[in-house]
Amino acid sequence: MLDRVITALNKAKRVFIGCPAVIADLRPLLPTTMAYKSFDFGLHRGQRELRNALQHTIFECSDEAETIILSYGLCSQGVIGLRASSCPVVVPRVDDCIALFLGSRGTYHLGSQKKQGTYYLTNGWIRTGQTLLEEYQRMAARYGRKRADKLQATMFKGYRRLVFVNTGECDLERCRTYARQAAEQFGLRYEEIEASNHFVRRMISGQWDKEFVVVEPGEKITLEHFLGSSNGKLLKKT
Amino acid sequence: MDSTEAGTEILRGLAEAVVAYDEEKTVELARMSLKQGIDPGVAILKGLAFGMDQVGKLYETQEYFVPELLLCADAMNAALDVLKPHIKVEAQAERHSVVIGTVEGDIHEIGKNLVKIMYEAAGWTVYDLGADVKAASFSEEQKRTGAEVVAMSCLMTTSMLAIPEVIKAIKANDPDITVMVGGAPLNRELAMAYGADGYAESCGSAVKETLTALNRVKGAT
Repeated sequence: MLDRVITALNKAKRVFIGCPAVIADLRPLLPTTMAYKSFDFGLHRGQRELRNALQHTIFECSDEAETIILSYGLCSQGVIGLRASSCPVVVPRVDDCIALFLGSRGTYHLGSQKKQGTYYLTNGWIRTGQTLLEEYQRMAARYGRKRADKLQATMFKGYRRLVFVNTGECDLERCRTYARQAAEQFGLRYEEIEASNHFVRRMISGQWDKEFVVVEPGEKITLEHFLGSSNGKLLKKT
Repeated sequence: MDSTEAGTEILRGLAEAVVAYDEEKTVELARMSLKQGIDPGVAILKGLAFGMDQVGKLYETQEYFVPELLLCADAMNAALDVLKPHIKVEAQAERHSVVIGTVEGDIHEIGKNLVKIMYEAAGWTVYDLGADVKAASFSEEQKRTGAEVVAMSCLMTTSMLAIPEVIKAIKANDPDITVMVGGAPLNRELAMAYGADGYAESCGSAVKETLTALNRVKGAT
């Protein structure tokens, strides 16, 4: 069930459930006592599938765990409606995992406002889930290069730069090369920034402040939890 | 094969050609439908739009991906270009109109463009503002054109927060304007909480949902 199994002597108090693209980057930071489970990257595409898979694993783990941490953001709204029967569930209050590696949701929002049209890649995305170049090759093989170029132009319309968020040393050169090639292929300006550990360290160590959603046993995660506090007013009828 | 059967075959062929993203075939069948005397409006709705509905389902079940959606839309658009000039003038007498765009801060317009095609297929007049549209621009364009509907989309959760302000600005100017929203981070509940009159989950349901909302708004005034 879990990729790192909980044993009786080494019972994990916190169980980490996450997207493989995130776990790949977080693994070096996870304490050896922390159990984790990651899912197939393809689940990202379907809200229902992602939610079902997550809920199933949460129920499996909730009797063993003291707390379950989901390393997902609002991505696809796959976490909305999730609950654990007998332990709290924690999830970062972020739009998607990029904010986790930029240090805060605020930094991500500010970056999005200042420089629109940014495509982010992390090492984990490239190593486990990112198929940007492969998707182009698939299109070219299936529909011909001319059509693939047209499709690519439509899909990347409005994007101007590709930012490689460097999350670590593992496979760094391969990831960097991939990111550069992708930028070149899609006509984007390449930039590289160092990832911040600030957010992920707080997530792992239990410093769950207002940047995290924490629901009690039996309580469901809702969209309001994500938009809550400062943005809560936006949910009221105008 | 009598003319009714031939007509049914053509409509089915149009739908299948859209699903198979076969642009040459959709154009050929569109021309054939005109020769057969099939009402272009029927060819669009029961052929092309029906095919696009099937495409939406294939996307939901992950048999099709974004490239396939785009190719299908191209195939549909090519046939629309053939059929549209032949739509009867009297059928256009009560044309609906819509201002459409992706909200400020969001550069994604694939979904919005698919919805635009569906409006056009249903005979609507569409005023497309593109992507990253400022709140005031939606309102100004609605005032300029007198459109009865404003439809907006977003892909990013970071940009969906702009939607309530846009709706507020439109409704402040004219509360009788029907506002529709759609996009990946939204759902019906949130759309209603944001003050929209209607929500469409996919491009296939956009026109139907808009007409329902439009009638509700009109009925309330």
